[in-house]
Amino acid sequence: MRVLVVTASDSSYALEMASVQEVVARPLITAVPTQPAVLLGLFNLRGEIVPLFDTAMLLGVGATEQVAYAVVVTTARGTAALATESLPETVDIANSEPVQDLDAGGVTYAIDSRLTTLIDIEGVLEGVGASGDRE
Amino acid sequence: MSAAGQEQELRVLFAQEAEQRLARLDRELLELERVGGGDELISSIFRDAHTLKGSAAVVGLDDVARVAHAMESLLEQVRTGTREATSGLIDALLAAADGLREMIPAAIRGDDRSSSADALERRLLAATTEDPAPPPLLVEPPPTAIAEARRREQDAMLVPVRRLDKLVRLVGESEAARLRLGRTLAAEAGLDPEKSTEFRDLSLVLTELQKSTIRTRMVPISTITDHLQRAVRDLSHSLGKSVRWEVAGADTELDRSVLQQLADPLLHLVRNAVDHGLETPDERRAAGKPAQGMLALHAVQAGSEVIVTLTDDGRGIDVDRVRAQAERQGTRTADLSDEEALYLVFESGVSTARRVSDVSGRGVGLDAVRAGVEAVRGRITVQARPGEGTEFRIVVPITLAVMSCLVVGIDDERYALPMHSVAVVQSASDQAAASAGGRPLVWAEESPIMVSSLAATLWGDGRGRGGEVVVVVGDRPRHAFLVDTLLGQRNVVVKGLSPLLRASGLFAGASVEPDGTILLVLDASGLIKRARSARAGAVPAEPVDAAGDATPDSEPRPRGTILVVDDAAIVRQLQRSILERAGYAVHTAVDGADALERLSVTRFDMVLTDIEMPRVDGFQLTEAIRADPDLSSLPVLIITSRSSDSDHQRGLDAGADGYVVKTAFDEASLLDAIERFLGDR
Repeated sequence: MRVLVVTASDSSYALEMASVQEVVARPLITAVPTQPAVLLGLFNLRGEIVPLFDTAMLLGVGATEQVAYAVVVTTARGTAALATESLPETVDIANSEPVQDLDAGGVTYAIDSRLTTLIDIEGVLEGVGASGDRE
Repeated sequence: MSAAGQEQELRVLFAQEAEQRLARLDRELLELERVGGGDELISSIFRDAHTLKGSAAVVGLDDVARVAHAMESLLEQVRTGTREATSGLIDALLAAADGLREMIPAAIRGDDRSSSADALERRLLAATTEDPAPPPLLVEPPPTAIAEARRREQDAMLVPVRRLDKLVRLVGESEAARLRLGRTLAAEAGLDPEKSTEFRDLSLVLTELQKSTIRTRMVPISTITDHLQRAVRDLSHSLGKSVRWEVAGADTELDRSVLQQLADPLLHLVRNAVDHGLETPDERRAAGKPAQGMLALHAVQAGSEVIVTLTDDGRGIDVDRVRAQAERQGTRTADLSDEEALYLVFESGVSTARRVSDVSGRGVGLDAVRAGVEAVRGRITVQARPGEGTEFRIVVPITLAVMSCLVVGIDDERYALPMHSVAVVQSASDQAAASAGGRPLVWAEESPIMVSSLAATLWGDGRGRGGEVVVVVGDRPRHAFLVDTLLGQRNVVVKGLSPLLRASGLFAGASVEPDGTILLVLDASGLIKRARSARAGAVPAEPVDAAGDATPDSEPRPRGTILVVDDAAIVRQLQRSILERAGYAVHTAVDGADALERLSVTRFDMVLTDIEMPRVDGFQLTEAIRADPDLSSLPVLIITSRSSDSDHQRGLDAGADGYVVKTAFDEASLLDAIERFLGDR
């Protein structure tokens, strides 16, 4: 299986390639009032308005300092993007064995001696947005 | 644009206009059948046929013009009272309207439709020459008017929504690319892009492209209500019921795909109402109600949603029957309120119809209606009072709507406020500080209005110079907001915000700006609510005057400003393009009354007017202009498709300075006529 590996607060996380649309460099972000800090803002992806989330904050491991790239993903609730500080890389984990007994919120693989946790994008975004706290 | 290209564009414009006009004709003819007469109604029907004829002739669709002419002749007899508006005559006119709807797209494609025109003409003629027994109305009525409409639509165009979405996005992108090109030209070639003809041409084309693209997606709700009315008419006739159909807000626009998805659910509800909701005249009389039932559709836009209600004054859904039915299906209803129980009608298998008919009542239906509404991310609710009636309320999002907005700036941020919620705009600098109970106020239109800083309301911070005051109206008391700058009014393509955002009620949506950034569109009611609850912000002690940045007018001075008055959009468009190319500035008005309003606020050098128009016609407009001391010397040129000398004389008697006959209407003769009046300026 091919995954996209992103870094958030010095930890590695992997997204299934099937859910990744593309990676955008330095998106121009428009901040939105009244939104929680995890929403960095909106950006324009060829005319589509895409919400950009702070990946580290979504995963509960700190905050993203500077947005260098946005990983655009397809979710059940529309297109979204995850901010990263460094260029994500594509890795094939077909030959990697999951590391047992690590409660990192998802299956963890050792890739090039780095521990990388596969994240479920739907699960991570659950509780975010309209369905999370409707007024 | 080439002459052939322009003609084709005009034909497309004609097709759009004809579609609306024919829909209105349908509606008016049904109204005529309902009420049996009325000078104003008949005049309006006559005008529609007349304008259709004129416009068709302008774009060279002779077969269409021929049929419209036959309709006009028949209507002329009704207008003058030499013929009665029998139902046979109305049938012939409705058939002609249907025929035209089918002919127009074909004729524009270049197909030969002269034989259809012959047939329609003969039928109309038959209605004129003798008064035959009403010919059998279509032996087998079309399966449903909606299905018919849909088939026709598919004849004309079937584009996947996804592709249209992409088109809209790409058009937005091309605009951004245009701006970047402009900057590059200026920076690297030292050219002022606005002075480059090529660049201006590109800009014009892109603007047109943008408008057309957006238009392809937005349609007024009237495009389906007319078919619903037809369904009401046909069904009530066949059931021996009398139903008055009312529509309000038919010009509410929404995304074509949303509307198409709504067509079936609405048709279903309408048929249900006529079949089961409304009683027979005897039953109604027995219940002490007027024999004629009422079925009303009301549409209104609210923020980024459209609300459609369908109300009847029939027997109302019986909640107890719904409960009983649901219990039989195994649903416990004892704990449900009446409202919750009523909602069960949207469950599969629950029907309260007393008998099964071909029309509805098989227990499939309302669940399909709900599914259809939910498919466009809408919701449906129902209220009913036994013996008094039922109301269905459907709320659907406008996934893509064009809103006229005021764009305002705070610091380097921009926000859009829908124009319909902006009451007053004024400078903050001529405001004396005021307050009541410690809350800052401004005076606008001679009343005190609570004021908040927009920056504080949105962000809770103290940014913003607050040079301008915008008074906003929502569903609460009006409230004023301080902004730094007013960046102008423009049409904004509003898109819904992602459901991944927290719902705050503050936004009607967002839009992608030409430069690629994102413009948030504020919701007036939500904004006011937030300002009032947050006690946000205060008037800065000394508002900074933002004056002095007015940009000098760099446009070349136009040769004169002309007001074009015509109820046919196609004629307005044609005249506008001719006149603008010749260097005139052009404003347009849709009829004489509209023209008089415009004349009262703007100074014009000349008026070009049509004769046949609703409200105030061309003769009356001319007389009104001559009677007004401020306008009495304004040149008025009448443009008409009537070629009779008596009309020319009447125009000159009314005080017109000249006339141009539309059939002899070409660019040179029009410009000649205008230059005779304005040439020596």
